[in-house]
Amino acid sequence: MMLEVILKLLEVSFWSGIAALGFGLLFNIPKNSILTVFLLGAGAGFIKFLLMHFDIHVVLASFIAASFVGFISVPLAHKIHQPPVVFSIPPVIPMIPGYFAYETVLSIMNFTFMVDDSQKRLQLIDAIFTNGFTMVFVLISLTVGVALPMLLMKKSTVKHLDN
Amino acid sequence: MDDSSKLIKTADLLLDISSLLMVSGANTTRINLSIGRFASALNTKASSFISHKTIVMTLYDKKTDLSCTRVKKIPPYIINFTFISAISKASWKALSEEWSLEQIAEEIKRIQTLKRYPRWLVLIAVSLAGAGFCNIFKGDYLNMLVAFVSTFVGLYIFQETHKHKYNLYIRIFLGSFVASSLASLAVIYNIGSHPSTALATSILFLVPGVPLINSFTDLMDSKIINGMVRFTTGAMIVFAMAIGLFLAMYIFQINLR
Repeated sequence: MMLEVILKLLEVSFWSGIAALGFGLLFNIPKNSILTVFLLGAGAGFIKFLLMHFDIHVVLASFIAASFVGFISVPLAHKIHQPPVVFSIPPVIPMIPGYFAYETVLSIMNFTFMVDDSQKRLQLIDAIFTNGFTMVFVLISLTVGVALPMLLMKKSTVKHLDN
Repeated sequence: MDDSSKLIKTADLLLDISSLLMVSGANTTRINLSIGRFASALNTKASSFISHKTIVMTLYDKKTDLSCTRVKKIPPYIINFTFISAISKASWKALSEEWSLEQIAEEIKRIQTLKRYPRWLVLIAVSLAGAGFCNIFKGDYLNMLVAFVSTFVGLYIFQETHKHKYNLYIRIFLGSFVASSLASLAVIYNIGSHPSTALATSILFLVPGVPLINSFTDLMDSKIINGMVRFTTGAMIVFAMAIGLFLAMYIFQINLR
């Protein structure tokens, strides 16, 4: 049982890494950051799904995983002399709340064009709001989570430049 | 070469660099940082206003107190992190090794010839990313195959329409519509254990991650206008994706199951 959970977790992390890498290639990242992007993507996926396994809400889990990427990428950027955006953006893309977005669109469409029964329409309103707001909050926590560490730690770079 | 024509030449080079950074997906702070380094390497000081389609820059010569203002139109956006990285490195070197104008111009020319990843590789990698997404949202391997194929065809259409210079939002709509139509067919024929997961993930290759994250960093740095511009671009892209998905789901009558 425990082993099964861990294996599933590793599988999901692996595919998160692959997704991060796919977007990295789409954004044409430098060749020497390919492995870094894969590892950061897999690491972020691992953290997010580990937290969600312990019943932590998807919004908070996404925020923590995105901040992990943000915090790691600043010292890493200094070490291998690349701007942090190069490997901070691709790893957070796999955490985009695609399924919530899909459920929201699906519920809106059913509500507007298909369902007449008033009881079902109430359920659809509930689905639109739950999925829609979860999607918005996950998106906010991803952008804030990945960008905030860079803004917090950037002070040192600017000082270095001024001298 | 007299002072003022040299200053104009410098300003044009710095504008070219800013525009290259802008279309490659750098945020406004990063652009100002790189330009600041190049400008001080050339004994000048640059102040610029950067927006989505134009850059206005005034360049001051530190010795002679001459100044010149130039405006540049920004070409269509193609995200390219290799350019951002290479320009950032060049700006450090220019500052520490005190490069001349010609040296910088030559390095920028060299950077522009750097090749992108081959198209087939990008197609396969992004389709694998789509399959990966599908796995993340609890799809099985059959669903992942559907997501792979839909993403592949959707991205192919997106790239082809780019060659014919279609409007960006029309291209997003077409890519989203084609990808989600293919995935909708899989829902109708009930392929795999969670066919709707493949439908949800088939259009995620279009998500505007770079504009939205850059929008937030720009807003946090008080680059309000550029932050709003980037947010609007991102929101328009999401809207175009949603319309494509919506139309496909309506045509194939995908209901809540």
